[in-house]
Amino acid sequence: MAKTLLIVDDSATMRKIVMRTVKMSGLDFDKTEEAGNGVEALEKLVAGPVDIMLCDVNMPEMSGTELVKEVRKLPDCESTKIIMVSTESSQELIDGVMADGANGFITKPFTPEKFQEKLSPFMN
Amino acid sequence: MVDLLSLNEVLLESAKEIFETMVFMDLSESTDEGQDVEGCALLGTITFKGALEGCLAFCCSTPCAQAIAINMLGLDTTEEIAEEDTCDAIGEIANMVMGSVKKRLAESAGNLEVSIPSVVSGHKLRNNLGEGARKASVRINIEDEYVTELSLLYHENSN
Repeated sequence: MAKTLLIVDDSATMRKIVMRTVKMSGLDFDKTEEAGNGVEALEKLVAGPVDIMLCDVNMPEMSGTELVKEVRKLPDCESTKIIMVSTESSQELIDGVMADGANGFITKPFTPEKFQEKLSPFMN
Repeated sequence: MVDLLSLNEVLLESAKEIFETMVFMDLSESTDEGQDVEGCALLGTITFKGALEGCLAFCCSTPCAQAIAINMLGLDTTEEIAEEDTCDAIGEIANMVMGSVKKRLAESAGNLEVSIPSVVSGHKLRNNLGEGARKASVRINIEDEYVTELSLLYHENSN
């Protein structure tokens, strides 16, 4: 089944690194899109279905945690799986964003194996 | 609360973790007591607040920054790299090293709130936190080719 991935990070370099690491993990997406901020991400989510969204936490204007809350208000995004990707690793933050609707959390530095572990349950 | 010697160790171990996992470049502590990073350089900084307040900075020459960006992005070494990508990569280095430092200091300094990184380029770049600031600093050799500096300027917050 065709899968779409959305990578949200204010750093273009980090989006490329995430995309490269996803490819190295062996996970196969039919379509990969990028967004440089939360507003752009919401536009992409409204425009078409996204299966998995990889989302930075620490972003200007709209943080990743705020974006999760906004995504969960969108009726067409109930099935979108949200995996946070961040250098932040406090349990308080992880618990909070998971309670708000995220489905997983990957801490930087990350490896292809970590993406495989966290994303593969949502690939079928 | 936090001693400078252990902070130097925290900085070095954090840099090793990031460079081994995300940059794929070897690094070691430099014994070179030289001056500033020579020539045009990039300075990536990120601020933090909490029980410790201050700024982490990573400073390296432009050729070193380009080599780091090429490795992080998995590009061919002969490929030209955009200035924006190079700056972005150095900002991410500051961001990820700060994340690792924060994790390692969690027990002694509690949760530190971290800003978004910023990067400037120029000559003889230095970060400054005014009077009374303490500084932990390590000079780091990357691939035995580039000497860089990683530093942490901070005040202990008694509030």
